[in-house]
Amino acid sequence: MKRIELELSGGCQCGAVRYHTAQILDNAHICHCRMCQKAVGNFFAALVGMPLDVFTWTRGEPSIFMSSEHVARGFCSKCGTPLFYRNMNNPRIGITIGSIDTPEKVVPLYQFGNEGRLPYFESLPALEGAETTTETDDPDFAANIRITNHQHPDHDTEHWP
Amino acid sequence: MSETVLAGGCQCGAVRFRASGPFKVAVCHCRMCQKAFGNYFAPLVTAKDVEWTRGTPALFRSSNLARRGFCASCGTPLFYLGDDDEACELAGGAFDRPEAVPPTLQINLKDRVAFFDTLPEVPHHKNVEKEAAFKATVATHQHPDHDTDVWPPPSKA
Repeated sequence: MKRIELELSGGCQCGAVRYHTAQILDNAHICHCRMCQKAVGNFFAALVGMPLDVFTWTRGEPSIFMSSEHVARGFCSKCGTPLFYRNMNNPRIGITIGSIDTPEKVVPLYQFGNEGRLPYFESLPALEGAETTTETDDPDFAANIRITNHQHPDHDTEHWP
Repeated sequence: MSETVLAGGCQCGAVRFRASGPFKVAVCHCRMCQKAFGNYFAPLVTAKDVEWTRGTPALFRSSNLARRGFCASCGTPLFYLGDDDEACELAGGAFDRPEAVPPTLQINLKDRVAFFDTLPEVPHHKNVEKEAAFKATVATHQHPDHDTDVWPPPSKA
């Protein structure tokens, strides 16, 4: 695997756990396997490797569930955000791409675990509703969420909350 | 929409649920769902009569209008619940048979990642042998995709 120079920060929804890396690996992928699906409560997991020698937890510590003998799954015990997949035998950590502050910077390069791929995966982009936003359908609700949301912002903070 | 009863829960099995249809399933692209699920979007299943059949989810109040449920033992995101909503919206991947809750709608497109439409075209991983060799070594601690009378099994407790 090759290293890519890219400074990224991220963390959980509530901000209790934050991380930073100076590089990512060229293995960004979505994994369809049933274990990833259940760990992240989703149709697949989106993961990117970060070399442990350039990766740091900058706030708090993740909680860990050993989903099998060699694989740890990290999450925030305060808000539940799934944070990583880690094979303990490897010198890298697979961070959940949605927890990165700028997920659009990490485009998946391949699909993995295709035996678990859901039959409707192919049709996701064609789903109806592409025009709706909460902002237009329910502006008051959207405004209230914006003002009162308890989500950590998508950048590092000196103090939080 | 489908009429049925489905079960599901978190990865470790500490929290289990049962829910009745009809199920309405939406993919939500909003940044709050992205971060809560650590993913490009959240799959949210509106159901009726959600019953927690084992354990209790932990809660995070993500705004003054909504809470998010998850398993405190393994972290699996389990639901979104608006304060004014009658029922919670369950995490699609937490169902034992996620193929039974196909999404029909996508919402909050403003935050949709630019490459979402191309996800199905992403190439498949080519090193199938290495993948299979790794999978063969996995002794899973994941709860099976069906209800269990006792969990964890006595040998693992």
